[in-house]
Parts: sequence; structure tokens; C-alpha cells
Amino acid sequence: MRRYSKSTLSERGDIVLDRFDKRVAEEILGTVLKYGGDFAELFVEDRYSTNIDLKNGKVETAQTGRMFGIGIRGFLGDKAIYAYTNDLSRDNVLAVAKRVGEALGEVRLADLSLDLRKKELENRHVVILKPQDVRKGTKVGYMKRAYESAKGYSPLIAQVVVHYWDYDQNVLIANTEGVYVTDNRVRTRLMINAVAVKDGQMESGFYGPGAGMGPEFLERIDVEQAGTRAARIAVRMVDAQPAPAGKMTVVISNEFGGVIFHEAVGHALEASSVAKGMSVFAGKLGQQVGAECVGAVDDATIPNAWGSANVDDEGTPTQRNVLIENGVLKSYMIDKLGSRRMGMSPTGSGRRQDYTFAPTSRMSNTFILPGDYYPEEVIASVDYGLYAKTMGGGSVQPATGEFNFAVNEGYLIENGKVTKPVKGATLIGKGYEIIQKIEMVGNDVERGQGMCGSYSGSIPADVGEPTIKVREILVGGRNK
Amino acid sequence: MSKEFETFKDKIFFLAKKYDSDVQISYSQNRDFQVRYQNGDMDQYTDAGKFKINVLVLKDGKLGSSYTETFEDPEKVFLDAYENISIVDGEDTEYFYDGSGKYLRLEPYDGSFENLPVKNRIGYVETAHSEIRKDERILSDMAVYGDQMNKLRIANTLGLDVSFINGGGFMYAMAIVKDKSPRSAAEFTLGRRPEDINAVFVGNKAREESIALIGSQSVKSGKYRIILRNDVFSDILGMLVSMISAENAHKNLSPLKDRLGEKIGSDVFTVKDLPFHPMSISNAPFDTQGVPTSEKAIIEKGIFRTFLHNLKTANKDGVKPTGNAMGNSIAPINLYVEPGTKSFDELLTALGDGILIIQVDGMHAGANPISGNFSLGAKGFKVENGKIVRGVEEITISGNFLEMMKDIEEIGSDLRAFIGLGGYVVPSVIVSEIDVAGTM
Repeated sequence: MRRYSKSTLSERGDIVLDRFDKRVAEEILGTVLKYGGDFAELFVEDRYSTNIDLKNGKVETAQTGRMFGIGIRGFLGDKAIYAYTNDLSRDNVLAVAKRVGEALGEVRLADLSLDLRKKELENRHVVILKPQDVRKGTKVGYMKRAYESAKGYSPLIAQVVVHYWDYDQNVLIANTEGVYVTDNRVRTRLMINAVAVKDGQMESGFYGPGAGMGPEFLERIDVEQAGTRAARIAVRMVDAQPAPAGKMTVVISNEFGGVIFHEAVGHALEASSVAKGMSVFAGKLGQQVGAECVGAVDDATIPNAWGSANVDDEGTPTQRNVLIENGVLKSYMIDKLGSRRMGMSPTGSGRRQDYTFAPTSRMSNTFILPGDYYPEEVIASVDYGLYAKTMGGGSVQPATGEFNFAVNEGYLIENGKVTKPVKGATLIGKGYEIIQKIEMVGNDVERGQGMCGSYSGSIPADVGEPTIKVREILVGGRNK
Repeated sequence: MSKEFETFKDKIFFLAKKYDSDVQISYSQNRDFQVRYQNGDMDQYTDAGKFKINVLVLKDGKLGSSYTETFEDPEKVFLDAYENISIVDGEDTEYFYDGSGKYLRLEPYDGSFENLPVKNRIGYVETAHSEIRKDERILSDMAVYGDQMNKLRIANTLGLDVSFINGGGFMYAMAIVKDKSPRSAAEFTLGRRPEDINAVFVGNKAREESIALIGSQSVKSGKYRIILRNDVFSDILGMLVSMISAENAHKNLSPLKDRLGEKIGSDVFTVKDLPFHPMSISNAPFDTQGVPTSEKAIIEKGIFRTFLHNLKTANKDGVKPTGNAMGNSIAPINLYVEPGTKSFDELLTALGDGILIIQVDGMHAGANPISGNFSLGAKGFKVENGKIVRGVEEITISGNFLEMMKDIEEIGSDLRAFIGLGGYVVPSVIVSEIDVAGTM
């Protein structure tokens, strides 16, 4: 549990969470149950964000803003009703609570006597600088350094767009099981998009490091190197030939390459898909679903990671979930509703973009665990194939396992060596097949940052892996 | 509009004067209803509303911006925006609009979905579910119904004060059918009135298509003639939105930079921006800067006619603003592709041999609007002699959007409406050649 310095508070006006003391929270939750349902929950959010855009080395837009409101949810069995509002007058909030109860229908616990007890949590994600305490000019200084470095990388670089984003999110979560908890999530991210032009062809390169830290993050990373990395991808790709088409062996580089696990397997392990049998991995706990060299975890407890938090958005303390061990399916990611439907405990995986979304089971920091091989050995083992050096995003249909993801920087592997750059490759397949085709796992695990979109909106999530080799995957390139 | 907003606005306008600046304030109120069923059971139900206030402060041609979701502390909101100006050092001059232009008289959304009893709204998903389940091979299904209403008011210290109400309903259904590996098919529809939403049709379509996909196989890699069905074509057209932004052209982020007047598409390809289309739920008489919207040809018989502008880019290029500001970016109100005369079935006949693409995945990652390159996971049906012969899975289609516009051979008459960044009203098209990767 964090405490906020008074100086920060007075700068920001009163903090909305303070209005929802135990008595008020009890009244709201009690109102839901008076009209229906067997469980009620509230989620109050007060978030302050800063967004700055730099194009061609100049700040074009600067925006700050405050979002706040309350989300109220009720369950009756495994039926869920959700409502939100940012008219926080007592009358309105109680009217919304009543509507939720009425929509649930059946009154089960009308005379519930609630006794919320505040849970004091150890804060695992210490923030050194609050975003509001750092001058915007200082933030812009780091952005300009990243810009200069990207721009100076090559005369082919025609444009560099740098986007800076930070936020300070305070949440209060209470429910009729006695949970009453607050959490503070601070996140900072720098996103660099570089464009290279050659002979009328344009290509872009992207790198977007972030963390669950304040702006001290900008000092922790090498912003110049971040700029160079985006520029390198653009410059390499503007000279690249289209990737070849067809099935081939693919080596996927570490860090953001982990998006393959996120899409191909991760989403299909979320309770939102599993509970209703809408996942190819439903009913497969304890079974061998992947190659023996594959282990993977989802871990929201990693200090200051992009997808970490002390509690999830349902107030459940986060934990490290081993999803797959030696290729055997060990656990799903389960939220409260999923827990009711599946008869299994929640895993601290209930997340949402903000108070306008009902929470559901989501990933946090999800990655493949390291294996035995040096990355050079993995590459050297391939006669002909694709080296996916930098991945873009992807997507999946959990019910069929069909996934796709983009290679933003690719190279051919010929006779165990990385050779020509190739562009425009998308990798597709079925998750349950791909995970069985992983043949080698490297020892160089790293994580990369991204935004994950699903039922409960867009949330920060880390993906990660060491360098891996997939025996065979369809590369969507061009035909000769 | 609420009294609280008036007080807030007056305070913000007063502060603008005090700080010798101009200010624009927008007040948006949303209602949001959504219900999702999985396998006939209610999975999620949301009934909610919120508001948001955006404040833009303009001083010496520079803009600072802030937003809030409470009427409290207007001074803090104003000062946040005002202080943000101090870090802006771009060379472009920003403007506000005084509201003196002529606005189209558009029919606002009448709230007809909101006025339906909840029972009827849930009825849409129950109907779609029972339609999907009319075949025993269906493994599972999902149906979603939603409706939205947005009231927007924009006012500034130059005299602009405009408002509009937008909204409508939509539904989505997905069927998953048993096969060697499960197959899925989805159908989507939207409309301005309850009678525009046909749940029986949506459920039927999802079921029939999922069943038709049983036994899908990949194809050999190669170049194919394809149909991009209207829903798929609307997805891929999303790439054009970024390319026709004058802001992106100025900033070297559009491959269409310096190409006005050039032939960039085939003769049959005409794309317009429409402020109003009866099928769309994204109509608007003004853009987010309050500038009147207007009909315009963006691509006319293949010739690139105009970029879309906001006040800043229009001034820079010495042209009239086109009414296409969309917050910090620029976007069409309704991107409309002029339909041809052939029905969908006639398009299949015209295709002869090729692949009908019914779904592409990964637009956000596999399509790059800066280079124009795309490579997307896809599925559809193999077509021989104008007839669908079997389902196609595990393929990708790859190409360059700029090259593809030249290869549009035929345009169908089957217009449908979709939502993206703005609305889309789009028919199906035949593309004469595209790269397909397959596993056979």
C-alpha cells in the first residue's frame, strides 16, 4: 500500500478515492445486493495522463488529462452485470448500483451485513518520480535525444516521430467478500517510429520501451540507443527484398518475439475463452500440449514491469502463474467470473483498460522460460529459413487457435548464417500446432512492451522469450 | 446540455480572456449498452454512460490541450492546457474556426435503440443464438448486441457553438463448428434504426458460413485472382485513411505525398468522403474543429484528387479546410467507395477462377500504411468457374496497397456499412492479381 505526499495531492485537487470510504463503499455494494445478485464489486479510478508528440524534432502536441469514474458490477451465479458512471453524486451512484441489482433480478442477500477491512499490501513496484513531479520540458529533452539519435543514424531517415506517454492511476476496489484495497499504478513509455526513404520506397521501424515506473525510466534506459534501434529497422528494411512465401523453419529472436506465445497460446489460456469451451486448450490441464522444451509463465509480480500490479483490477493479489512446464499445461489465467464458471481459484488475472470496462481474465507479463542454447547455436542449426529479428503485433482467434503476427525486421538464414534482409512477412498458423513445433529454446530471455486488446479493452502487457526455433511455420511473403 | 457544463464553460472562457488566449471546449456525453451471450448464456452486460470535456488553448498560433471527466476545478484544467503550450515548438500555426460557414442539416440520431425495452435488445442476441444453433455441427457460438449514443457540443471564444447527436446499434455473431480442427465464421451489422438490424440474417449467415468452411484446406503458394468481400475490403481500405491525411503528407508519413493529380488506382475506382450516408452511424455535420463537413471525391476514376485537411494543414497548403479534423489526426467522415453494377454473385462469375477472401487478420500489425505493404492471415473460399467449391484456410495475402489499387478490376454493387476511424460504406471488389502463400 502506498501513501501519497500531500504536496502531490494539493496540486491535483482532492483525490476522488477519498470520497469512497468504507461506509460509502458498503452502502453502494449493499444497494446492489438489496435489489439482486449474490456478489457486488466496485472499482473507482482516478488517473492523470500526459501525452506528448514530437515530429521532426519539434513538439507538435502536448496533452494532459484526468479521467475518473466508478464501475459497479454484480453477479448472480455466473451472470454478470456491469455499469459505470462519472457522475459521482451520491444519488446517481446509488441509482446505478440499484440498476445493476435490478438487472441481476433475484434477491439473495438482501440483509447482508458488510464489514469491509482494508488490506494493507506490500508495494512491490516502487516509483521514484511521480509523473506530475517531473517538468514536461525534462520529458521533452529525452524525446529529443531519441529523435536526434534516430535522425542521425542515416541520411535515409526522412522522419522520426517520438511519442511519450505516462500515467498515474489510483484505484480503489471493494467487494462483498470483504475486499477493500487501493493500488497505485504508474507507467511510462517512449515510442519511436522512424521512416526511411530510398528510391521512392518508404519503410518504417518502431521501438517502444516502457515500464511500471515514473519518468525515472527515461534515465534507466539508453534513449539514444532506443532511437537508433527504430532507425536501424527502417534503414535495413528499405533495402530489403520481399520475404519468400511458404512453409519454412523460423528462428524468432528474443524479447518482443514472445508475441508468438502471447497470441498463439496465451489468449487461449484466458478464462474468458476457456470457461465456455471457446478455446482449443479447454479441458487440457495436465496434458502435454507443447514440446518438452517449452515452459511459460504469466507473472504480474515482477517489480516495475510494464504489465505488473500489486493487485489485479478485481482486488486479488497478483501472483506468478506457471502456465506450461515441460510442455504440460499447468494453469489457466482466471478472473473472478471465470473462477465461478470453472470452479477454480482466481489467479490475480482480472484486468481492464479503465473503469468503463468490466474486468476479465487477461495476461500481464507473459513469457517463455529460458532453455539451454546460445542464440548463435539456434541460428547455426538452420540450413534455410527466416530469422524474425523484430516482431510487430499479432492477433488470434482463441476458439480455433488461428493466429498471425507480423515480422517487422526479418533476414534469411542460409547455411546457418543470417544473410539478406527481407520485409513484409507475416507468420500464421494454429497455436496448438506451433507450440508442438518449437525445437530449440535459447538462454537469452528478455521482455518487450506492448498493448494488448481484448474484451476488457487495451492494457499494458509484456511479452517475452529467449531466441527460439520453430520447425515449420507458414511465412506470408511474396512469390518469385 | 447540463447547467454544470455552462458554468464550467463560462469559467474556462473567462480564464482564456484573463490569460490573453483563445479557447475551445468540447463536451461529449456517451451512452453505452452492450450485451454478450456465449452459447445462449449471458456472459457480459453493460449499461452505462459518461462524459468527457476537452479543452484546447490557443496562443500565438500554438495549441495546448487537456481533458477532464469532472466539472471540478476548471482552473486546473485550463492551466494544464495553457502550460502545455510552453513545450510546443512546432513550426506550424494552429487555428480555431469561427463557425461562420454553412452546415449541412443532418438528421440527428433519434435514440430509437435506447428507447427499446431491454428485453427487446437482449432479444437480438437470443434470436441470433437460436439461428446459429439450427445445425448440430455447431460447437459453440457467441452473439453481441450493442447500442451507443453520443452527444457532442463544441464551442470556442471565436463564436463557434455547434452540437450534434450521433448513434445507432450494432450486432455481431460468431459460430464455431466441429471439424478436424474447429472452424469459425462471424457476421456483423449496424444501423441507425432497430429495423436495420436483422438478427435472423446475422445468425443464419454466421452458421451457414461456418458450415461451408468445413473441410477447408490451404492452397499452393502463387499469384491468384481474388475477391475482397466488402467487410474485408473495408478493413484493407483502413490503410488509405492514413495515406490521404495532409498532415501525414507534410510529415513524410504518406506514400501519396506529392502525387495529387496522378493516376493511382484503376479506372473503376472512385472513393469519396461523405458527411452523411443513410447506412452509416458515423455521420457528422462538422468535424472536431467545428468546420462544416462536405462531400468530396478523394480518388476519381483512379486519379488522386485531394488530401483531407484540418484547419492547420489547409492553411499551410493554401486550400480550404475539408472538415476532416478528428482530434489530433485527420480522417474521413464516411469513406465511401462508389459501387459498380454487378451483384455479389455476378462478381463471382466475373472472377472465374480464384479465391473469395472473407476474413483477414492482423491489420494492425501486418499492414504498414507508410510503406503500403501488407501481409495478412486470411481465409475464404476457392472459386472455380464462378462457383464456390471449398473453404480455404491457412493462407496469407500479401501485396502493396498502392499497387493493389491499380489492380482493382471490378467493383460490386453490394454496399455495406462498417465502423473504423470514421465510417466506411464499401462494396466487394475483384483484384486481378495478388500474392498468396499457402501450405499445400
